[in-house]
Amino acid sequence: MKSKLSAKLGLVMLLCFGMLLSACSSGGNGNSSATNGDTGNKGDAATNAPQEKVKISFMGHGSPQEKDIFAKLIKSYETKYPNVKVEYTSVPPAEYNQKLSTLVASGKTPDVFYVSGPQFYKFAEAGTIQNLQPFLETTELFQADNVWKQALDRYRFDGKQLGQGDLYGLPKDVGPWAMAYNKTMFTEAGLELPPAEVGKWTWDNWLDAAKKLTKDENGDGKVDIYGGANFTLEGAVWASGGDFIDYTTGKVTIDTPEFAKAMQWVADLRIKHNVSPSPEDEKAMNSYSRFVAGKVGMFPMGPWDQPGFWDLPFEWDIAAWPVNPETGKAGTWVGSMGYSVSSKSKHAQEAFNLAAFLALDKEGQKQNYELGQAVPNLIYMAKGEFVAYDKAPANRQVFLDIIEDYGHPPIEFGSKDTKWIDTMWQEAGKVWDGKMTAADWAKELQPKLQELYDKGNK
Amino acid sequence: MRKSKPSYIRKEYAWAYLFVAAPVLGFLIFGVAPLLYSAWLSFTSWDLVTPPEFVGFDNYIEVFHDEKVYKSLFNTVFMMLGIPIGMIVALLLAIMMNRPLKGISFLRTIYYLPVISPIIAVSLLWQWILNQDFGLLNQTMWSWFGIEGPNWLGDANWIKPSMILMGVWGGVGGTMVLYLAGLQSISSSYYEAAEVDGASAFQKLRLITIPLLTNIHFFVIVMGVIGAFQSFSQIYVLAGDGGPEYSAATVVFYIFENAFKYFNMGYASSVAWVLGIIIFIVTLLQFRLSKKWVYND
Repeated sequence: MKSKLSAKLGLVMLLCFGMLLSACSSGGNGNSSATNGDTGNKGDAATNAPQEKVKISFMGHGSPQEKDIFAKLIKSYETKYPNVKVEYTSVPPAEYNQKLSTLVASGKTPDVFYVSGPQFYKFAEAGTIQNLQPFLETTELFQADNVWKQALDRYRFDGKQLGQGDLYGLPKDVGPWAMAYNKTMFTEAGLELPPAEVGKWTWDNWLDAAKKLTKDENGDGKVDIYGGANFTLEGAVWASGGDFIDYTTGKVTIDTPEFAKAMQWVADLRIKHNVSPSPEDEKAMNSYSRFVAGKVGMFPMGPWDQPGFWDLPFEWDIAAWPVNPETGKAGTWVGSMGYSVSSKSKHAQEAFNLAAFLALDKEGQKQNYELGQAVPNLIYMAKGEFVAYDKAPANRQVFLDIIEDYGHPPIEFGSKDTKWIDTMWQEAGKVWDGKMTAADWAKELQPKLQELYDKGNK
Repeated sequence: MRKSKPSYIRKEYAWAYLFVAAPVLGFLIFGVAPLLYSAWLSFTSWDLVTPPEFVGFDNYIEVFHDEKVYKSLFNTVFMMLGIPIGMIVALLLAIMMNRPLKGISFLRTIYYLPVISPIIAVSLLWQWILNQDFGLLNQTMWSWFGIEGPNWLGDANWIKPSMILMGVWGGVGGTMVLYLAGLQSISSSYYEAAEVDGASAFQKLRLITIPLLTNIHFFVIVMGVIGAFQSFSQIYVLAGDGGPEYSAATVVFYIFENAFKYFNMGYASSVAWVLGIIIFIVTLLQFRLSKKWVYND
């Protein structure tokens, strides 16, 4: 009897131990001696002949489509570097940051992972991610003049600030936020098509078109088709010559007349002109679904929206953002995600090779744009075959103009702590509802946001 | 000479300890250890990336100066209005259900259904009901009475009532079952005696039913208050950004935001401890006060 008991106890212990083991196993696999992240390791890994099998982990997020694309890209990488096996995990986007931070905290950082904005800043500062500069010299994939500067600069860190210094990441993509429009709807309404060249179309033209497109189809007093959705506040403010913050001095700059005017203009689209869905309408049916359903005329899209739009029953294209008639400037944002390599990676060279392959390899970049995921990171490819690619949108040049000309990094780029931005959006409801004018609101909120920013970022 | 216990008893003891050990160990590992860890964290500043840094009472000082702590605390307490409303509705329902009618068990099941539904599913359902333009509620009000409904989830003044409405709907079944059990334990002789004295139905309710259910009222209030202090999921689903002007955020939601959005683990822990202490004090007070009004057989 006694022995039975201890056998059972043993079994319980074994189970517990097994669980512990499996929890650890994703950490450090195998032997690390040969390719241990010594950065002086010259020459491409592919040419470094006899190598042992190496396993690296890669974590990202994205749609199921994107996951498939990455599975394919990773296959090509593994063919090129046959000694490396990549363990790829794709996490739902909403949980990504949480998962990544938890992994970092528990010392199980993936070898390669997506990172951007506030988290990138934090990781770079804390030494969680590798300085990639020494590695860049070892690969023929990287030619600085063939990669968008606007994308690379996001991943530079000089020990204090973002934007300059060494590279701590490679861009996964550049995401110019372009103005898509329903061509069929425009033609039916007898409207002139918005031009692809920036400067020829102003906010007034945009509003005019939006008014003509907005319709109550069934006569119940409620709008069914809106002219335009999501005229982003960011874009409007930048086009007016204002900004949200000056990162060099750390001053929140929403209390300027330019800002107030831009914000009021955006708010009036809903309050005064009723050509855009309210935040609540947004919740019921987001602008993306509205555009796909033909219920909104103009809608800002990112390049990754393309595949979803290729099967639409109507014609569409992208236009340049309208300019503020007073300044003659346009504004929108360029998003980006980057690949970083964990500074604790036991196979830093292989990890870097993967990041470089995903970010810069010609074949991979080609596949990526053909599948409609992104604008190529490689400038020659973007300006050449990408622009000439025969799938919609026809005005692909617009994407490139935004990157080169009037796209800004999102506000949170440069903030380690984004509480101040969230607070701003939470409070912005008062302006969107028309309870407060933009000018009063901004004046009231500026000190509050300044305090929050200082607390979290200094 | 004392005889030692027979071996079969000793074996049973061993087994008993083994079985007791499982939950005790579980509690120590997954209950006490994190508790102590978070107590320590609440005195540090930790972003998960760099090692925790001891900051003394800074977090606690900050808690008392943080506008959002007060705002979320106010929201949480405001939403407790749902507790008395729910109790009244549940009691009335229980009285109605406490009859030998045909199909009554079917009705009881229907009212209990929301209680066992996952709160995320319930929240999504209500998101659809409460939508300003397309929602079931506003559509119905418009087509039946010609009333234009408010922007339930998008208006700072209406989002809290919306949450209360949803909470009452979701919780009333559970409270109803408790009241039903209570009602069935009241001896019918009280009512018979009251009838002989010529008491009206309302008098019977006020003087017999309600006082004899005080222990259930007490239980419902205590659990309701604790539950309300901890409410999170429905806010996360219906107002992922804390609602317009942060008017729907509860304390736990604020803790979540600090911990998993801004990665201020230390600060989140200190807010959590403050909340824990508040719940402890409020519950203690309720037990103290209960001696004055709860009737036990």
